[in-house]
Amino acid sequence: MSIATQAETVAADSAPPLVLRLDGIHQVYGAGEAAVFALRGIDLAVASGDYLAIMGPSGSGKSTLMNLLGCLDIASEGIYELAGHNVSELTEKELAKVRNREIGFVFQSFNLVPRMSALANVELPLSYGGVRRIERRRRAMEALDMVGLVDRADHQPQELSGGQQQRVAIARALVTSPTLVLADEPTGNLDSASTEEILSIFDHLAGQGRTIVIITHEEHVAQRAHRVLTISDGLIVADRFNEGIAR
Amino acid sequence: MSVFEILRSAMRGLTANKLRSILTLLGVMIGVASVILLLAVGNGSAQTVQNAISNLGTNTITVRPSNGGGGGGGAQASSSTSTSTSVKTITTRVSDQLASAGLGHVKEVVPQVTTSLTISSTTTSSDNVSVIGSTAGYFDVSTTKVASGSAFTQADVTTSAKVAVIGSTLATTLYPTGSALGQQISVDGTPFTVVGILATQSSAGFNDPNNVVIAPLTRVQKSYTGYGAVSTLTVEATDSDSVSAAEGEVGVMLNQLLGVTDTTNLPYTITNQSSLLETAAASATSFTVLLGAVAAISLLVGGIGVTNVMLVTVTERTREIGIRKALGATRGAILGQFLAEAATLTLIGGILGVVAALIGSRYQINGTQPVIIGYSIPLALGVSIAIGVFFGVYPAARAAAMRPIQALRAI
Repeated sequence: MSIATQAETVAADSAPPLVLRLDGIHQVYGAGEAAVFALRGIDLAVASGDYLAIMGPSGSGKSTLMNLLGCLDIASEGIYELAGHNVSELTEKELAKVRNREIGFVFQSFNLVPRMSALANVELPLSYGGVRRIERRRRAMEALDMVGLVDRADHQPQELSGGQQQRVAIARALVTSPTLVLADEPTGNLDSASTEEILSIFDHLAGQGRTIVIITHEEHVAQRAHRVLTISDGLIVADRFNEGIAR
Repeated sequence: MSVFEILRSAMRGLTANKLRSILTLLGVMIGVASVILLLAVGNGSAQTVQNAISNLGTNTITVRPSNGGGGGGGAQASSSTSTSTSVKTITTRVSDQLASAGLGHVKEVVPQVTTSLTISSTTTSSDNVSVIGSTAGYFDVSTTKVASGSAFTQADVTTSAKVAVIGSTLATTLYPTGSALGQQISVDGTPFTVVGILATQSSAGFNDPNNVVIAPLTRVQKSYTGYGAVSTLTVEATDSDSVSAAEGEVGVMLNQLLGVTDTTNLPYTITNQSSLLETAAASATSFTVLLGAVAAISLLVGGIGVTNVMLVTVTERTREIGIRKALGATRGAILGQFLAEAATLTLIGGILGVVAALIGSRYQINGTQPVIIGYSIPLALGVSIAIGVFFGVYPAARAAAMRPIQALRAI
């Protein structure tokens, strides 16, 4: 029995619906002798409400996996299903829609759009989703409230601290109520106090039943997740549930 | 996103690097302003020429002795009642015959002799004043009207009276303080009485049309030019539609009167004002087109500036494009964003260019008062926006086609 099917069995036992499923994912860059096999057969299932950490050393393929999960890239081989969509069959326009509706990104370097207020940054995914202006404003303020930054709504990114910028980025990721929150080394550029702030927000979100996939190389960050996946050389080498953290 | 939001977002992009945006905008502005202004200058000079020509009257035709054929101008004519050539020159006798020939489309035939003389009052004098000798009909065919006093009559012509109608410039020169009307002037030593002063006429060429003396034909011939060839016959057609017909009749009759056998070498040339007008209009149009082409090139250069700036902007903002794509922006949204920036840039540049052209057109340029052609404003504005979109498409398409992971990796 493979690791992936074990996870599936576990997921099936507690019966929450699957959010995403990877089946035999290969990712190859280049061709011939210069070909780089970044992922060499990944099988993975993530259920709704999962808080999953993906660990691995640099070059293990975790960034490649993150790009695939975020629909920023398409796998060379294998099936990726996200919220019922078969991602490899989507057109460019449909991919943009999936990124908008189903995924909330949190990046290591915050990636707020410069010269736009925190509020405008949070509104951005909604405006691409065609939400009306008034509704947009209301939902963006709600999201900012969730990360405790309502009073910074009019500040531009360069006027905010790193921790605050990352909280704005989390608000932006949450504002569309995505199926999956995808965080790529979210605490990599932060001091320990801000790291704790961000991680407690993720804890809180997990408590609300959000599905979170966090990519990290720091053990203490991974410890906060319910489930930790370790990959190495493009393969999943470990998939364990953290003891003592209730689902 | 609404149009307003797209524009606001475009403005945000443009204000990110103000100096660069302003310089690009300047390029477009200069292009648009020069298109409008240079077309206006071309148009203005065309109108000046047309006004000057229509001042001469449009239902008249002018007959002049040609250089190859008959006698010279009236000034030399005193010595040239030449009979050595078989072809006669146009004299007042020919003019009278032409007038009494009963040509159907000819209303009036007015002979003129011209010379250039010194005119003086008791206090001042003026050299090289053109002196025109003509009949009373002159005042009918010329659009120049007598402003004060009256024209001389046919009786004055018959009696070779020493009376004169003078131009406004000459009147002021000779009598700077009082009115010249009723005063005596000396035309090359012969005293004349000023009976009328002409209305001021706008200048069409190098000569001031207001520095002129008009006196009875007989008197000018008797005292100055002699009875030779006239310098001009002005023929007035019955109406403006009959000008061509009158021209034909006059030609045939003159050939008879002058005994012309070789019609390829006529001793005279006939011009009518409408053909002159057409020629002038054609040359004015090509002048305007030339100016417009020069201006269009500068607009094109401005457009290339827009492309350049947009390319730099796209490169600089690659990471932003990546973020936006990760948040769900479609190709169309990215394309629209950068196109909107390019179009906003050129629209603002275009509007400023129109304003600059409107201000510039209030001043005379090289002696020509520019007259703005109505269609040139929407044309130049439209072209500038089209240029923004056209030259913005390539950079915007490049931005839109970026793969999100590559764009996100950019520094």
